[in-house]
Parts: sequence; C-alpha cells; structure tokens
Amino acid sequence: MKTRIEAITRSVVITTLLVLSLFALSAQAATPDPTGLNADALMRKASNIMVTGDLAGAIIIYLQIPAPGPEGDQGQFASSRMQAARLEFAMKNYSAALTVVDELLAVYPHNIEALQFQDSVKEAMMPQWKRLMQDTIKFVPHLLKGSLMTLLLVFFTIIISPIGGLLIALGRIGKFKPVSRLCWFIIWLFRGTPLLLQLFFIYYGLPAIGITLSPIPAALIGLSLNYSAYLAEIIRSGILSIDYGQREAAEAIGMSDWQAMRRIIIPQTYRVILPPVGNEFIALIKDTALVSTIAMVELMRTADQLFNASFNITVLGLAAVIYLLFTTVFTFAFEMLEARVGAYEKR
Amino acid sequence: MQKLLELKDIVKSFGTHRAVDNISLSMHPGEKTVIIGPSGSGKSTLLRAINFLETIDSGSIFFEGHDVGYRQFKGKQVLDKPKIICKLRTQIGMVFQHFNLFPHMTVVENAMEGQVTVLKTTKATAHDVAMSMLEKVGMSEFADRYPSSLSGGQKQRVGIARALSMKPKLMLFDEPTSALDPELVGEVFATIKQLADEGMTMIIVTHNMGFAREVADQVVFMEDGSFLAKGTPNDFFGTQCQDPRIQSFIDRIF
Ligand SMILES: Nc1ncnc2c1ncn2[C@@H]1O[C@H](COP(=O)(O)OP(=O)(O)OP(=O)(O)O)[C@@H](O)[C@H]1O
Ligand SMILES: [Mg+2]
Repeated sequence: MKTRIEAITRSVVITTLLVLSLFALSAQAATPDPTGLNADALMRKASNIMVTGDLAGAIIIYLQIPAPGPEGDQGQFASSRMQAARLEFAMKNYSAALTVVDELLAVYPHNIEALQFQDSVKEAMMPQWKRLMQDTIKFVPHLLKGSLMTLLLVFFTIIISPIGGLLIALGRIGKFKPVSRLCWFIIWLFRGTPLLLQLFFIYYGLPAIGITLSPIPAALIGLSLNYSAYLAEIIRSGILSIDYGQREAAEAIGMSDWQAMRRIIIPQTYRVILPPVGNEFIALIKDTALVSTIAMVELMRTADQLFNASFNITVLGLAAVIYLLFTTVFTFAFEMLEARVGAYEKR
Repeated sequence: MQKLLELKDIVKSFGTHRAVDNISLSMHPGEKTVIIGPSGSGKSTLLRAINFLETIDSGSIFFEGHDVGYRQFKGKQVLDKPKIICKLRTQIGMVFQHFNLFPHMTVVENAMEGQVTVLKTTKATAHDVAMSMLEKVGMSEFADRYPSSLSGGQKQRVGIARALSMKPKLMLFDEPTSALDPELVGEVFATIKQLADEGMTMIIVTHNMGFAREVADQVVFMEDGSFLAKGTPNDFFGTQCQDPRIQSFIDRIF
C-alpha cells in the first residue's frame, strides 16, 4: 500500500517537473534571440550572404533560426534547415548535411523533403564501388531478361542464315539463269540497303500490302534475310576458291554435282569462310540492337528504357559489358572452331 | 575378244581450235596404251573426254561394246543424264597430274569416299577395300595421315589407290609423274608397272620414254589433236625409226 502511494507521488512530481520545464522552454522561445533578429530577418540575411558566395557563412546564419516553439512554427525553421543542409551538400560536407537534416527530422519526422534529401545524401556518401554494385544488382536482372531475347534472335539467325546463304550462293553459282539472277538480286538488295531500313520496311511497310507481322517474326525475317545475303557472298567466294581439280576428282569417281558439293567442296570451304562468317556473327550480335526500333524488347531496348527512367549511366555500361561478353564468347568459340576445322592442313 | 574401249572419230573444239581432231582408238582388256606428244597437243583433253569430263562435239565412245555417254536431243549430240554418266565414271579410274587428293580427308578416307558415297558400300567393306588398295601401292601405313603431310610420290600413290578402290575396268593416267621431283618418279612408275603386270587396262599420258617403252603395248604420238603415228614401243624406240616428225619429237625429249 505504502509503496503504491509512493509511486503515485513520484509520478506526480515528475509530471510537474516536465510541465514546468516546457513552460521554461516556451518562455525562452518567446524571447528575442541573442542576435536580436527575428527568423524572417535571419533568412534574408543568410540568403544575402549566400549570394556573395560565402556558403559557410550563410549556413551559420541559417542554423541560428531556432526550433519552433509551442505557439507554432512560422515555417522558417524547416526551410532554414533544408537550405543549410543543401548548402552543406553542395560543399560535399555530407555528414554535416546529414546532421542538419537530422535536426529537422527530430522536429518533423515525416517531412517528405527532408526524408528524400536524406536518402540522396546517403547515396552520395556511398563509396563509388558500392553504388555501382547496388546499381548493378538493381539493373542486371532486367538487362539479362532483355539479353534472352537478343540471344534468341542471334541463335535463330545463326541457324537460318547459313542455310539461306548456302542456297543463295548455290543458286548464284548454278547454271540456271533465272535462279542465278534472282539470287544476284537478293544479294544486291539486302547488302545495298541499311538493315534498319529493311526492318522498318518489313514491320511498318508490309502491313500496307496486307502482311502484318508481329515484332519477333519481323525481326527474325529481317535479320535472316540480311545475313543470308552477306553469308551468301562469303560462301560463294569460298566455293569458288576451291581448286577446280577437287571437283574433277570428285566427278571422276562418279559423284554427282550435289555429292561433290556436299562431300568435297563445301567441307573444304569451312576453313576459308569461317573467319569472315565469325565476323558477320559478331556484327549480328550488335545488329540485333536495331530491332529495338520495331518494338522488340531486347537488351538494347531494355537498357534504353532503364536509362530513360533512371538517368543512370551505369545501365548503359552494363549493357555494353553484356554485349562484350557475348562477342567475346563468340570470338573464342570461332577461334577454337577455326583451329579444329583447319587442322588437316597443319598435320 | 570384245574391245573394252573404242573411240570413233572423236572431235573436241574449244572455240575454233580443234583440241582433239578426229581420233579413233581401240583398247582390248589388259592392253596398255601410252600417249606421247608435245604440250598442247590435246592429250589431256582426249583422256578427259574418255571420262566425260569434256563433252565431245562429235564421234562416239564405245565401252564394253556399247555406245555410251551421249544421246540425241533435238538433232544434236548431248551428254547423257548425269546418273548414267556417274555410273560410267565409276568404271573408269583417273589419276591426275596434280593428284587432286581430298585434303580434308585422311588417306584411307580418300580411298573410301567413292565407295561409300557413290557405290553405297558399307563403311566396313569400303575400309577393307581401301586398305587393300593402299597395301598394293605401299601406302597402308599412312592410312590415317592427311595428304598435306605426304610427299608428292606418296600422294600420287594414294591417288592411284583412290581410283583403284572403285574397282575400275580402265585406268587413265594423265602425266602422273610430271609434277614430281625426279627422285620420286620411280616409286610411282613402279606402282603403275605392278598394276600393268596384274592385267589392268590403262591409258597413260607421259613424257617418260623409258617408262613408255617398258609398259606399253601400243604407243601413239599425238600432235595438234591428231594421232600422227601409232605403233609398238619398238617401232618408236627401235633403231629404224621411219617418221621424221616422230624422230624430231624424240630428239627433243632426249
Ligand atoms: N577448257 C579449255 N578451254 C579452252 N581451251 C582449252 C581448254 N582445255 C584445253 N584447251 C586447249 O586445248 C589444247 C589442248 O590442251 P590439252 O590440255 O589437252 O593439251 P596436252 O596435250 O594435255 O598438253 P600438256 O602436255 O601441256 O598437258 C590446248 O591448246 C589448250 O590450250
Ligand atoms: Mg595435259
């Protein structure tokens, strides 16, 4: 019982003390500040100093503006602290800026401006590599998702275009004039115009004659036709580079034209055509970026979108790294292939 | 005995130039004919015509008694269907001056290729045949090598084995040793001689008189697309040579 009364007494005392001290505080707030200026005048003074370029001086004045008293804030406190914090930030005194913002947040814990500013100060304070890593972690999953489409386009074009290229090359070499002319025309057309134009034509132009393609088929058709035309010329010159004696030797043991082509001539072209074909495929990896213009969301388009949303240059750097990764893998793969295919000449 | 090959009035022109001018020739099974003659006289063209690598303008080619390789089309003589030509070629082996081995295949694969791709033999059988032919030309120990690692003489022996693997009835040799260093000529001639002794029918174009004399049943001297003279080696290389043109050619060679 006795202890109970004691506790109550103690709490009453504490409450009284608290109320008293609040009064004391408000009394101090009500009295003019030591410099004898009111908040408005201080704000003006600070901004006058600031325009002279003396940011540190301006900060000192801003920080003299007192915290709001019980009769309410005139708004000067918050804006003075924000202003001081911005000036500290501008002078790259990040921790000082944070201290100032903390002072503001202690009074107004939900001040949106202060909270956002605190975030950007913290971001600015992060070491370069840490920020880079954070951005990487943020962007890479999106970029990888975009790369999947890029790889898909590369994969199918690499399957289709050598076949198309071979057919066009054989047609062009063949003795049947109409086919030979047609193949010449295809090569002329697709090598002589920009790939971008071809893609536009297929995607935006064909609907005019009633053929509407969705982006993926349009992109695949455009890339495949273009690369078939390029590979056709490489394959054709490869075939023509093979000694005519090979063809005769094949015919002399009874091979048909096609058997001689398939078994004797074409396998010997690999060694000759592999380096330029490798070059074309590396160009292809980069050329897939062009399909981003016909509503395809692949690596380039993804990077572009992320960049536009964040204005963070890291996105573009990461996209470059992914492209480089692909082209590097290709370069090495082709070097290995070349070594294997050409082995019979070295032994 | 039935003739294996008979050429009747073969003519082949390139533009206005008659590379082969009205040539006739008969070969019985087992016979060896050596063709000699200056450069540009049409020897290669004639050999290639026998193998249908050149399309003749007129004349006919009889193989085992049949007129082969050509048919009439709109009043003109044209080459027969590819399928028939390919079949005929499998029965005629050809050995080239520059070997023309398939560089992307090993030695044994070179000798298997025609069997597997054209004759549709199984790989195992083709391999056995190829190996026995390589054995014959003394190249079996090089079976797994690539042609680029062989000497000229070895290459040419593989070329012979490749042709033999098709089990041809007639062998054509177009200057088989003229691309070889002199010290390698002997091994190739030895191989051809061995083949001759086994009874193979063959036509050999060569400038090597010694070899012609040793292996030929019949020697023909060709100039400007025609056979200038035909005879036994003795007619040519004996002491009493009649024809001044043959004499002057032989003088040029020796
Ligand atoms: N495809 C061709 N087109 C035009 N002319 C050709 C062709 N092939 C050969 N000739 C010509 O036909 C003639 C005979 O050539 P061929 O190669 O048959 O001579 P050859 O007797 O084999 O000579 P060599 O001893 O030099 O091999 C030559 O004048 C040659 O220039
Ligand atoms: Mg010749």
